[in-house]
Amino acid sequence: MLMKLAGGRIYDPANGRDSAVGDLFVQDGRIVADPGPGAAPDEVHDLTGRVVMAGAIDIHSHIAGGKVNIARLLMAEEHRAAALASEEPCGCGGAIATPSTHVTGCRYAQMGYTAAFEPAMLPSNARHAHLEMADIPLIDTGGYLVLGNDDLLLELLASGAGEEAVADYVGCMLNATRSLAIKAVNPGGINAFKYNQRRLNVDEAGPFHAITPRRILTALAAAVHRLGIPHPLHLHGFNLGVPGNAEATLDSIEAVEGLRLHLTHVQFHAYGVEGDRKFSSAAARIAEAVNRRPNISVDVGQIMFGQTVTASADTMAQMGNAGLAHPKKWVMMDIECDAGCGVVPFRYRDKAFVNALQWAIGLELFLLIEDPWRIFLTTDHPNGAPFTSYPELIRLLMDRDHRLARMAELHPDLPQHTILGSLTREYTLGEIATMTRAAPARILGLADRGHLGPGAAADITVYTDRPDRRAMFEKPDLVFKDGRLIVRNGVVIALGAGRTHVVEPAYDPTIEAWMGRRFDKRMGQRLAHFRIAEEEIRGGNGLVRHACTPGAF
Amino acid sequence: MASNPAIHQDVLCPFCGLGCDDLTVEAETGGLAVRSTDCPIARDRFARTPPAEPPRVAGTPVPLQDATRAAATALGGSGAPLVAGLGTDVGGVRAALALAQRLGAVVDHALSDGLYRNLAVLQRTGWIATTLAELRNRCDLLLVAGPDPAAFHPRLYERWVAPTPAFQNPPSREVVFLCGEPLDSPRAALVNLPVTVLPGDPARIGDVAAALTAALPDPSRAVGAAGIPAADIAALAERLLKARYAVVAWAASAFQAPHADLTVERLVRLVHDVNRHTRCAGLPLAGHDNVVGANQVCTWQLGVPLRASLGGGAPLHDPYRFAWDRYLDTADAVLWISSFRPEVPIFPPGKPVIVLAPPGTPFATEPAVFIPVGTPGIDHPGHVFRSDTVVALRARGLIDRGLPDVATVLTAITAALPQEAAAC
Repeated sequence: MLMKLAGGRIYDPANGRDSAVGDLFVQDGRIVADPGPGAAPDEVHDLTGRVVMAGAIDIHSHIAGGKVNIARLLMAEEHRAAALASEEPCGCGGAIATPSTHVTGCRYAQMGYTAAFEPAMLPSNARHAHLEMADIPLIDTGGYLVLGNDDLLLELLASGAGEEAVADYVGCMLNATRSLAIKAVNPGGINAFKYNQRRLNVDEAGPFHAITPRRILTALAAAVHRLGIPHPLHLHGFNLGVPGNAEATLDSIEAVEGLRLHLTHVQFHAYGVEGDRKFSSAAARIAEAVNRRPNISVDVGQIMFGQTVTASADTMAQMGNAGLAHPKKWVMMDIECDAGCGVVPFRYRDKAFVNALQWAIGLELFLLIEDPWRIFLTTDHPNGAPFTSYPELIRLLMDRDHRLARMAELHPDLPQHTILGSLTREYTLGEIATMTRAAPARILGLADRGHLGPGAAADITVYTDRPDRRAMFEKPDLVFKDGRLIVRNGVVIALGAGRTHVVEPAYDPTIEAWMGRRFDKRMGQRLAHFRIAEEEIRGGNGLVRHACTPGAF
Repeated sequence: MASNPAIHQDVLCPFCGLGCDDLTVEAETGGLAVRSTDCPIARDRFARTPPAEPPRVAGTPVPLQDATRAAATALGGSGAPLVAGLGTDVGGVRAALALAQRLGAVVDHALSDGLYRNLAVLQRTGWIATTLAELRNRCDLLLVAGPDPAAFHPRLYERWVAPTPAFQNPPSREVVFLCGEPLDSPRAALVNLPVTVLPGDPARIGDVAAALTAALPDPSRAVGAAGIPAADIAALAERLLKARYAVVAWAASAFQAPHADLTVERLVRLVHDVNRHTRCAGLPLAGHDNVVGANQVCTWQLGVPLRASLGGGAPLHDPYRFAWDRYLDTADAVLWISSFRPEVPIFPPGKPVIVLAPPGTPFATEPAVFIPVGTPGIDHPGHVFRSDTVVALRARGLIDRGLPDVATVLTAITAALPQEAAAC
């Protein structure tokens, strides 16, 4: 079947189109070249005047896995208040900060998103995360594997293993868990917390294995480079939420010595200690460092006001925040010699100075970092806010008047502590298309997503160009997934399964003998059983492999 | 040996939730035999593999299609159906929830009592918990609260406590049994470890936990509880404070006291307070028949755990009203799923009961429909969750008795439902 999307204003930064009026053709779920005047499309959508973009891609959103399910259990009140009855074709479920799988897929699709990636898949929990992601309808998914606190890696480093052996270990773990990228969460810190250490400096040797966080960070960044994984090491940095942590963030940028590094939810890592409250914005310093170094990318982890829940593998940081829980209950888990999880409900209040400044720091980062190819729109769902707040966030970025009006409602001391009021930048539609489509696909190595050139998957979102950008991005006119119309006027009209994106880097399998012995002796599980078979992912349907190019990145 | 198809090595046992994946199982005439372990659960369950038998409707053997149609008719005509038991793998639970959504049913797992004593506390206060490999490699003091969990998880000590902790230096470990005697054969696994038994009233474990918590700031002021003298409470409080990584383990389903969730709450409080000084984590054990997996799938699909009603369209969780044994009286039709064991409860008369269970399952009263199904990990591959909720495992199929799996049967029943039954 040939479908023609006629006459829309196409925003396709990967192919150099910025409000270019033109037609798109879709056949068998893919975008194809203009078949010429002789072709007779079976279906034509007249998109004159509409804004056309690729389906949006969220590179960092906690949508599945053990900690998400714990968050659902802990947020029982939200599930009682926001339960959702099924309405054809949708099933039931509920909630906003901790949505059920069905609601997750539907809410993303309704906003024009066609992919979201779980950024913290623990090795021991990977099979669970994949089983759960398979139940998220409509959107593509994938997981980033959390390494850097796993005792096996720390043992390997402590044994003096070289770069090659570390890369082989990482390569084996990535393949075995069907992951797309490597994430490091407070490297060394979660492991140290298991020995009752509540803080660990970048150059401080951790307990037992006596490895410094800097060594872990550089070893993983080098392994990613060596294996040729498209996505740079995805780093949840040091001292999350602690005033003064910007120093460690800048230090991390230096530590990788030019290798690529992605700093995730950098808003939570951009705090200084200036001023009367000993809590200040270091956004300008972070932005300056990012602007100067093309090897660094960030996503923001913007906070938005209201009730949410924070869920992170970083038990060291979460234990420190547990006293701020709202409501007053929280869960910590030490997990399988891998990492941990900390789930702390949280309410960001617009009249609280700290929360207001966190909000401003996030926006400062968005506006000060110049290259939209290296900064990504995230709220670290649900940690900064539920992903459903993206349309409002886009409005804040595109509409300075709205930004200033909102700022005026916040804590009265805020203006003296932020330069936000003086920042005149307004994101363009083209920049939004870059930040939410083209750039995420490029930095994850998804060659056939995030753009609208021939050969791309026909994941397409069509909007009416409204001056109220929130209204515009909240409710697209049409959303196509793999060429199929799934959303019309913000309403889901058809269900379907997404796909799972993975990389399968080559590695030397001789490492598996060492790993196999360690699994038997430590983990009480055979390496063969740890490994996830292809047929376990969506019943064998829907694995999408992306190329690794050793040394290229 | 490995080339002999009758011997299966490294078999994963799906039954108790410990996730043992090192079994040697031999296929012999008349069934399977576990050769590598004395675990009574594994030996018993793998051995109970009689040949397939046909489904029955009102006691009469019928083809599978007739049975699923009869089941669909009975369930489709009901106003308050119960879909329970849920002893099945992840695929079976998914199919059961899809059917329950269509029916507007109440869903629960047969063994959710112990699970809900724990979940009630997680939902009220949260907790600090750990997993089995952390226990094995980091724990230097294991405190077992209440009746020995090895009754439910026979290889707990052999696999997760007896091995030397790999990530502690020096690698020491001791075990304390509180208000519960260690069972003989599990205790044998602990022969090389210092074991202390503090006998006390098992109905008052919560009192002991509270006394220990109160003693933490100043053990010299400890008071006795549940028959345990103050000096023993004081000594144990000091050991908890001196431990590098203490684990408090319990099997809540064995707790005898009424409102046993309050016992769990006091243990959780103890763990919380020890963490002010050193590291300590709880290990709630409850994992038979994939109850943990059923709860995980239910939570991610519906947003709420088991003991949920889909009767109003939107999921409503109520651990009291929608406990299966209580709702059994209200329900006007029951679908019971038990693919891991040939055992079903006695159902009240006067309502159609549809049972999916292994062949040879005995019944006090013949159900309206009986559909024999295979067991995950014996007849077909399937995903099950370990007791610690983190690790999902894939069991493989060992033999082919020609039995359908639960997911296939439930999908057929859903497809055969009368269209007007689409309540949800």
